[in-house]
Amino acid sequence: MSSVAVIRAQVERRIPGALTVYERSTPEVFSSGISVVDRETGGIPKGALTQLCAPVGITSGRTTLLLSLLAQITNQKEEFCALIDATDCFDPESALAMGVCLSRLLWARCSGHGMKAVEQAFRVADILIQNGGFGVIALDLGNVEEKLLRKIPLTSWFRFARVMEKSLTALVILLTHPAAQSCAALTLHFDAATAEWSGTETVSHSRLISSVKFNLEVGRTRTKKPVQRERSYFAARPQWA
Amino acid sequence: MFACIYVPDFPVQAVLLDESKERPCALLDGPESLLKVVVCNEAARSAGISIGMTKLQAEVCGVELWKRSPEDEDSAQAILLDCAHGFSPRIEVTSPGTVVIDLAGSERLLGAHETVAALIKDRVEERGFETNVSIAANPDTAHCAARGFRGITVIEEGDETRRLSPLPITVLEIEPDVLEILETWGIRNLRGLAALPEIDLTERLGQYGLQLQRLARGATMRELIPAGLPTVFRESEELEESVELMEPLCFILNHLLEELIEQLIERSLATDQINIELELEAYADRETNALPSRSGLVPYHRTVKLPVPVQDAKVLLKLLQLDLAAHPPHGAVKKVAIEAIPARIRYMQAGLFQPRAPEAAKLEISVARIRAVIGATDSQGRLRVGMPALLDSNQPDHFQVVQPGSKHLRHAIPPEPQLALRRFRPVIPARVELNAGQEPVWIGFLQQRVQVINASGPWTNGGQWWDAKGKWLREEWDVDIALDGNNQPSTYRIFQELTTHRWFVEAAYE
Repeated sequence: MSSVAVIRAQVERRIPGALTVYERSTPEVFSSGISVVDRETGGIPKGALTQLCAPVGITSGRTTLLLSLLAQITNQKEEFCALIDATDCFDPESALAMGVCLSRLLWARCSGHGMKAVEQAFRVADILIQNGGFGVIALDLGNVEEKLLRKIPLTSWFRFARVMEKSLTALVILLTHPAAQSCAALTLHFDAATAEWSGTETVSHSRLISSVKFNLEVGRTRTKKPVQRERSYFAARPQWA
Repeated sequence: MFACIYVPDFPVQAVLLDESKERPCALLDGPESLLKVVVCNEAARSAGISIGMTKLQAEVCGVELWKRSPEDEDSAQAILLDCAHGFSPRIEVTSPGTVVIDLAGSERLLGAHETVAALIKDRVEERGFETNVSIAANPDTAHCAARGFRGITVIEEGDETRRLSPLPITVLEIEPDVLEILETWGIRNLRGLAALPEIDLTERLGQYGLQLQRLARGATMRELIPAGLPTVFRESEELEESVELMEPLCFILNHLLEELIEQLIERSLATDQINIELELEAYADRETNALPSRSGLVPYHRTVKLPVPVQDAKVLLKLLQLDLAAHPPHGAVKKVAIEAIPARIRYMQAGLFQPRAPEAAKLEISVARIRAVIGATDSQGRLRVGMPALLDSNQPDHFQVVQPGSKHLRHAIPPEPQLALRRFRPVIPARVELNAGQEPVWIGFLQQRVQVINASGPWTNGGQWWDAKGKWLREEWDVDIALDGNNQPSTYRIFQELTTHRWFVEAAYE
């Protein structure tokens, strides 16, 4: 027996499992309802954090993707979802048009501003994760400034990641930058979208938005092997188109 | 078969509920100046007490004297009913301290008659009563046997006349003038009454006499008059020392809730609404411990409603605790009363392939906890946590938030993703510069001035013109604007209020 094997045997005898590599099981996934996203990411992982990142104020497609996911879970799978809205920006009309079953969506609207809203959102997320039974818990911090998000200690994200590991719930967070870092199983970066307009350019009342082309990039994923950064696109139509 | 629970000297037992029944005790009633003994127990009778004695005469006998308490009797009667409901849903309150239970169909569940009677007696004695229990084929025979025989009596069908015969005629609660006539005839027990010729008895005492004879023979049969379910279950406690802190108050609430839930479980019921009534000591200025501003206590009410009926005292306690923490009483608590509105338990068939959902009672607690964190309602009175529901209106951003429910409407999922809006609540005031064609070209909002690259509009929207307060009229525009630091334009929805001519940024497409 080689000296390495001897040392290994001695260590394992004294500390069982010390040299065993911890293998994460492949998480189950939810379909997002957008084929491009599912193809690029493998789906939204259950029992893990997913962060959807885009700068504040741009037309990015984060909300469209979130509503599509909520429609899949509440309508197709008939499971309950929760949406924690730190800045009270959720539009029920858009959700209904996307096919979300509103009676299966628990909507918590935070009342504070700035850091207080973030603290409230985290406390509510804690309560809902403890409650259990939800398919997706969405934490919308999409309008919260980056400097406030940087104040959230990394331990908070670690705690969420550890708690979620044992559940079948997907925690989806809308952010301006990837604050959860390696705690997230999936990170998607969104850039500014391109809107396509129909009608004559000089006559405003003849013009309409015909579609919006969103572009996203997979930043981090555990369900697929890492690939070179590449952009993917998906389109969304307004209700009148 | 019918079982009868009879509590001898019920008013005395109600007063001595948790104390020794061996003590001689008599109850007084009447005007303060002329209190008389109205009821006493066996030990007091042995000590020489008789009904109608004055207080002074009774005091000479050396027995405990108490004022009769209707509240204690009501409470004791409720306990007796709880015990009876544990055996059958069909029960009759024949008189205070007497309950008849319909045992039809319970033989296979509870066993032989002797076993059932022993179970009933044990259950009632656990709650502090000394009782007689009898079982017979008809309610009146069971009643007579329970009043006349001590302990457990089981009378088989057809054997009623023989078994009842040694009992004195006083067990029948006969009217005093008829009792006097029977005594003059020398009728002392039911054997004598049962043996009288029917026609002669009817000629002398009428139908009432015949009815008494049938009772004496155990030959009556009547329908039970079932006691209705109470519309509300109530428990209250008056405190010797007022309570200011939440923790000791929760101990009291827990005790009361457990008693309420026990009563509900006995009747196979649950509750979906809890009303709490506190009586508070009011102080004009609590900082300086000034004297109470008024002599009376100040009532304080809270109501907790649940989406599904529950039987769990812990869940209810947590909800009450959260509600009182969010709406604390403004004084020390002197009296606590809790009412539970009964509701039928909902039984649901659990399916192996049923989609998972949050447990209703647990979700209710979570919602209450979230409410404590983010507040109950917004400035427009809409709930801060719940299920969103659109209102039947064309008004933009017109919705309500409702409590979690069980009705779910399915909507079709569109084949392609629909463009979603992120709303600004409240809407952001903006300054808009228009060109000669009255189209927006520059927008100033949130301390930035941006150029409009594309604009679609105006789209006029209005409604409720008949209502001065609720009417709205506006022109909407969808605009592409280039925000600072972004090469690609972003799409926003802006609008102008036509009544005030003010511009606002309403939402961003995302």
